[in-house]
Amino acid sequence: MSIISFIFSQTARNIRHSWSVQLMTTFTVILSVLIFSFFYLIYTNMVEAGSRFGDDLRLIVYLDEAPSAEMKKLYTKKINHFSEVEKITFISPDQAFLRLEKQLGAERGVLKDLNSSFLPYSIDIYPNKELRNLSKIKGFSDYLSSMPGVSKVQYGHSWIERFSYFIKLLRFIVILSGTLLIFTTTFMVSYTIRLTVVARHQELKVLRYLGASNWYIKGPVLVEGFLLGFLGSTLGLAALYVLFQWIKTNFSGPGFMNLFTLSFLPLSHIMLILVVSILLCTSGSMISIRKLLRI
Amino acid sequence: MSLQSSDNSKIVDIVRVTKIYPPDVMALRDISFTARRGELVFLTGASGAGKTTLLKLLTCLERPTKGLIEIGGNDINKLNSKAVQKLRQRIGVAYQDFRLLPKQTVFQNIAMAMEVRFKSPKEIKQRVDELLEMLSITEKRNTPSGKLSRGEQQRVAIARGAANSPPLILADEPTGNLDDEATEKVMALFKQLNAQGSSIIIATHDTSIYKDTHHRLLHLQHGQITEK
Repeated sequence: MSIISFIFSQTARNIRHSWSVQLMTTFTVILSVLIFSFFYLIYTNMVEAGSRFGDDLRLIVYLDEAPSAEMKKLYTKKINHFSEVEKITFISPDQAFLRLEKQLGAERGVLKDLNSSFLPYSIDIYPNKELRNLSKIKGFSDYLSSMPGVSKVQYGHSWIERFSYFIKLLRFIVILSGTLLIFTTTFMVSYTIRLTVVARHQELKVLRYLGASNWYIKGPVLVEGFLLGFLGSTLGLAALYVLFQWIKTNFSGPGFMNLFTLSFLPLSHIMLILVVSILLCTSGSMISIRKLLRI
Repeated sequence: MSLQSSDNSKIVDIVRVTKIYPPDVMALRDISFTARRGELVFLTGASGAGKTTLLKLLTCLERPTKGLIEIGGNDINKLNSKAVQKLRQRIGVAYQDFRLLPKQTVFQNIAMAMEVRFKSPKEIKQRVDELLEMLSITEKRNTPSGKLSRGEQQRVAIARGAANSPPLILADEPTGNLDDEATEKVMALFKQLNAQGSSIIIATHDTSIYKDTHHRLLHLQHGQITEK
């Protein structure tokens, strides 16, 4: 009998003998992977949405008066002096009025007795990608406010701030659930396997007397851990996919969720979760067998 | 790790070995003896004389407090755990307390010794069935060993020790629980294995199995060994 066939037949026997405990552990691994990857999925989608919003991000600089051609050059120079920006557009009150009408759509009637004179001259600034984080945008906004002839700078400050805190919170949840995943999986798997190992203690002792090698004893236990990790993480990720499809079907459409284009985890991340879970479960089983090898 | 000695005739060489169990129980005192390849040696002595301790030293279950033990020319004090595993694979041991797995069948218990040496299932089946027949326990083949009488368990333990036809077999009180007929069968098996080249050391206080023997007799008393 080769060591490989022995290891697999012994693993199958161990699983048969303690299938109920093995099932509970697999279930725990499934849940751990599902909880972690669910938060991770939300996080990646939010980050993706954030970067998409960032693409539309612009700062509006309201001016006290109409800028002369010379002033426009000066503003452009000063803005680019702080940081390279994607685009700078000078907006006249007429252009702003047209834009407002367009935004109001069917409600544009409210503007019928008004003309563009109540709207100020402004500059639309589309920042570069490097500028699109909260602290940099704040600094940029402060710099723009300090330029001569600027009355106000607007960029959806409170919204960006809230979104940024939300992303931070999500990142914290992902790290926390990831840490919990590591502890629960390692703990549960090592204890389950320890239970099966303790039940086989006498057998392992006899195997030692008969000269069984370390791999002869360790092999089936490690395969057991590997299978628990593989099965648990695969089913956990499959459950996540089902959940994702359900959310996509039921919540995509007109409304808030439509702001996001939901996407599932990329293949590389799925593989990473699989590999890490398998490693955790295998090392959990390694911990439980280490003591026994000293018989 | 093989049991090929540099001095080809010696399989066991014990030189001035002392074993003291803590705190100060002297189990063996300065004993020396040699077992040659293909030899059958009876190690006699009353209970507590140190026979089991000596067998434990030979299988590395215990280490000597002082002295040199060589098995097949290898000093067991210098063996690492891997080498000890290899050594144990080449020594068949029938323990006094059997060390069987009660929930496993007779077949599984005996097969285990061959499985750790990765013998093929066909070879295992053939050899186990042969041993079961020689020891008249064929009908117990699929019975869990925990349901056997002590005499039957003893025969299973002996069969497991003999399964690989190892170069060295150690048997601790192998006939202690057997009737005359079973004793005869066990001794016939040992003689057959010995004729096939295995060296055998039988620790016993059962005079019936060695009274008319032409094999070597070593007597252990109060931890000291004498040749008869």
